[in-house]
Amino acid sequence: MKKLIQLKNLTKEYGGQVVLKGINLDIHENEFLTLLGPSGCGKTTTLRIIGGFEEKSGGDVLFDDVDISSLPPYKREINTVFQKYALFPHMNVFQNIAFGLNLKKIDHSIVEQKVTKTLKLVGLSGFEKRAIDQLSGGQQQRVAIARALINEPKVLLLDEPLGALDLKLRKEMQLELKKIQKEVGITFIYVTHDQEEALTMSDTIVIMNDGMIQQIGSPTDIYNEPENRFVAQFIGDSNIVEGVMLKDYLVKFDGQEFDCVDYGFDDNEEVDVVLRPEDLDIVELGQGKMSGEVETIIFKGVHYEITVRCENRHYLIHTTDYVEVGKKVDLNFYPEDIHVMYKMGTY
Amino acid sequence: MIKNRKFSTSLFVGLCLLFQYLPIIVMVIFSFNSAKSLSNFKGFSFYWYEELFKNNELMSAVFVSVSIAIIATLVSTILGTITAIGLSKSKKIVRQIVLQLNQLPILNPEIVTAISLMLFFAAFKVDKGYMTMLFAHIAFCTPFVITNVLPKVRRLDPNLSDAAMDLGATPFQALTKVILPQIKPAIFTGALLAFTMSFDDFIISYFVTGNGVQNISIAVYNMSKRINPSINALSAIVVFVILGVLALSYIVPAIVKKKTTSKVRKRTARIVIALSCLALVIGIAVRESNKPVLRVFNWGEYVDKSVIKAFEKEYDCKVVYETFDSNESMYTKYTGGNKYDILVPSDYMIERLIKEERIQKLDWSLITNRDSLDTSIMNQPFDPNNEYWAPYFYGNVGIVYDKTKVDEADLGQGFEILRNQKYKGNIYMYDSVRDSFTVALKALGYSMNSDNDAEIQEAYQWLANQKETMAPVYGGDEIIDSMKNSEKAMAIMYSGDAAAIMAENENMDFYLPTEGTNVWFDGFVITNECQEVTLAHEFINYMISDENALLNTLEVGYLTSNKHASAIAKEEDFEGNSAYGIRTDLTGNDEVFTYQDNALKEKYAILWTKIISQ
Repeated sequence: MKKLIQLKNLTKEYGGQVVLKGINLDIHENEFLTLLGPSGCGKTTTLRIIGGFEEKSGGDVLFDDVDISSLPPYKREINTVFQKYALFPHMNVFQNIAFGLNLKKIDHSIVEQKVTKTLKLVGLSGFEKRAIDQLSGGQQQRVAIARALINEPKVLLLDEPLGALDLKLRKEMQLELKKIQKEVGITFIYVTHDQEEALTMSDTIVIMNDGMIQQIGSPTDIYNEPENRFVAQFIGDSNIVEGVMLKDYLVKFDGQEFDCVDYGFDDNEEVDVVLRPEDLDIVELGQGKMSGEVETIIFKGVHYEITVRCENRHYLIHTTDYVEVGKKVDLNFYPEDIHVMYKMGTY
Repeated sequence: MIKNRKFSTSLFVGLCLLFQYLPIIVMVIFSFNSAKSLSNFKGFSFYWYEELFKNNELMSAVFVSVSIAIIATLVSTILGTITAIGLSKSKKIVRQIVLQLNQLPILNPEIVTAISLMLFFAAFKVDKGYMTMLFAHIAFCTPFVITNVLPKVRRLDPNLSDAAMDLGATPFQALTKVILPQIKPAIFTGALLAFTMSFDDFIISYFVTGNGVQNISIAVYNMSKRINPSINALSAIVVFVILGVLALSYIVPAIVKKKTTSKVRKRTARIVIALSCLALVIGIAVRESNKPVLRVFNWGEYVDKSVIKAFEKEYDCKVVYETFDSNESMYTKYTGGNKYDILVPSDYMIERLIKEERIQKLDWSLITNRDSLDTSIMNQPFDPNNEYWAPYFYGNVGIVYDKTKVDEADLGQGFEILRNQKYKGNIYMYDSVRDSFTVALKALGYSMNSDNDAEIQEAYQWLANQKETMAPVYGGDEIIDSMKNSEKAMAIMYSGDAAAIMAENENMDFYLPTEGTNVWFDGFVITNECQEVTLAHEFINYMISDENALLNTLEVGYLTSNKHASAIAKEEDFEGNSAYGIRTDLTGNDEVFTYQDNALKEKYAILWTKIISQ
């Protein structure tokens, strides 16, 4: 796929405070890319620099290989769906959506046609005359998307657009957004702090923290092969254990040596080891690799969330089988369940 | 119980409304009064409306008020809105500092703003007039717009302008198409507030204007010597206009909502802009003129305006005519940096101006009409050779009384009649230090210019005793109207005012106590900084000519210094009117006010305050 946007060593300072510490990122045509990270990690700032609402402090922003950092937002082929939508309350649905086309002095009959088409795309046919305050949150969301998409941008920026919706609606909209993206076939750059949202929709996830990119990868890569403790913690629940990589395919933690599938570390390098809770099995005493006692068990609907106190630490386990609190059990896992990561800071 | 409570609630609301609207209704009714009285309705007529439109002074004041209000509103609304939008985007600390600075002019007493603006213009030697007033109005209106608009801007979603630009709007389009429509109500309120503040401003306007430019409030204030019911007509028109606008604001949106197209809106915007440009152009044009200019500062209602117009025509010049309401306010404005060529002060003020060397000697050879002057009133002690002033009007202070209520025999008591128990609760006194002490000092047989402590104390006792035993009503110029309506038996009165009362109420007569009274003179003087000395002399000469002196005295009702004119007036309009005349027995008991130094003035003032506040 062709590179559409390239960020090269992008930095940003606000009054002496560095919020972006050199971002390098390629964004491709047709890609659904998510910037994921906790608040304050710089993801929104990155988005706003791409949109033209903030000026970069250093580095380059290339669009189709052309530097666009000096272009004002209204000259970029990029449109944005804002947090809380930023719809124009004094205009009705039609006027909001037609805003961009009317500015370009496009013939009214064409505008009308396009609005109708776009409203259909976002599932709001017949809502043209509605006032903005007569719409529900989800409907406003759709208007905001339609208002941006009608301009046929090459890239759509979405700044936590689902944050204000309730859980059920959010899940619906996630699928809807993915569907729309496939239909219009343009690049979406999506900002969120919700890892589940990112995993559901994205082609590529960019995990950010503290103004730096932590990992770039597909949802499965990110989930299964987190590159460091931060990513592992941020994506899903994890048991993260400090260990030592004795040699290729052999890691030691909690005083025991385990076979694993990881290699390429220095011998005796200190590492972090991730054990996903759903990869751990509870087995009868003496049949597993580690012993402990069940301390708590919480029913979560699909599964139970169990903590087992072992000699060195607590382990979190997700399983569908019930175990009594206080029971002495063993934990079992296989070499491919062990994910060895570089220590934070050495990445 | 509940019924009771409901009743008392509506009673309370009703009283509140009544209290607010009754005065307005009274004013509107009296604007249709056929007589000049402000308190006695004689019949329905549009006379005062006609007078209003004929009154050039008032009409130009209306024009000044309206045009300044429109321009100041427009400019301050634009300025304030831009500032508010800018502030909403600036750092918190900057915003808070600017906001605090913005509050200051609003909280500041207006008089402080007024005086500081006056000093500002004086310090930079800015010629005061239309532009200074406009500038001042813009200055004090802008903070109100900012205060109104800023909170609304701050409540806007900060992403709105970003969203507009994102969709292809330039920053200006984002402002006009998205931000302004959202804050329109706040801008409108701010503009409305600015307009009201500007339209009825008095204090600030009064101090920053000059060159004869006056707005409605200043014009009305200067008229207060004798209220002209045209003011009622003007106020009534203002009330009707506001009612109309209010009604429109309810009706129009209902209609417009159905029909508004952007074309209509654009057209109205164009009309508003065109109108304000027109107002601005006319406003500037008003002060454009390259004829010689004569700046005259006279008492309010103290001339026949047609005489001034005729003078302007005959001498091809422009007379910038301003008015004052007391010698002291004249002195303050004149010494405060306002430039005048001719002043019309009274005797003791002339004395002060001579002493302070603020006026120049007259060239009597240029004042050929001197021969028509009543020379017996010239060469007063304050100017023994009459080098500085040319007499205009003069008169006495006496007692105007109702012949049907006052026994002629009691008049023999002189000023003591004001302590005659027969007339308890039936007399008016002037709420004025010098006039009141004149009564007491003269009644006791002393000089009204006394600086003798014992005599002053005695006069104080006289006045205090009078207040206690007679319960007089202390008033200002409203007494004139009350006496026309025979409300009390007698009143202390200036002879010219008395003449006006007697012309309208035949039961009234005027009495000058034999123990002597005040003789006063108002005259023309030429200031030191006068630029058009010859023209100034020509003006004085013109004003006291036989023909013009007659016009002036008939209009004003005071005794003119021109003996031919006064003779005609006595035979015609003021026939048998004893107040149109004068006793200038200065060798006997009658006196002219002398200038009091500050210590003496204060001594009198403190005693008077004690009497009034007891």
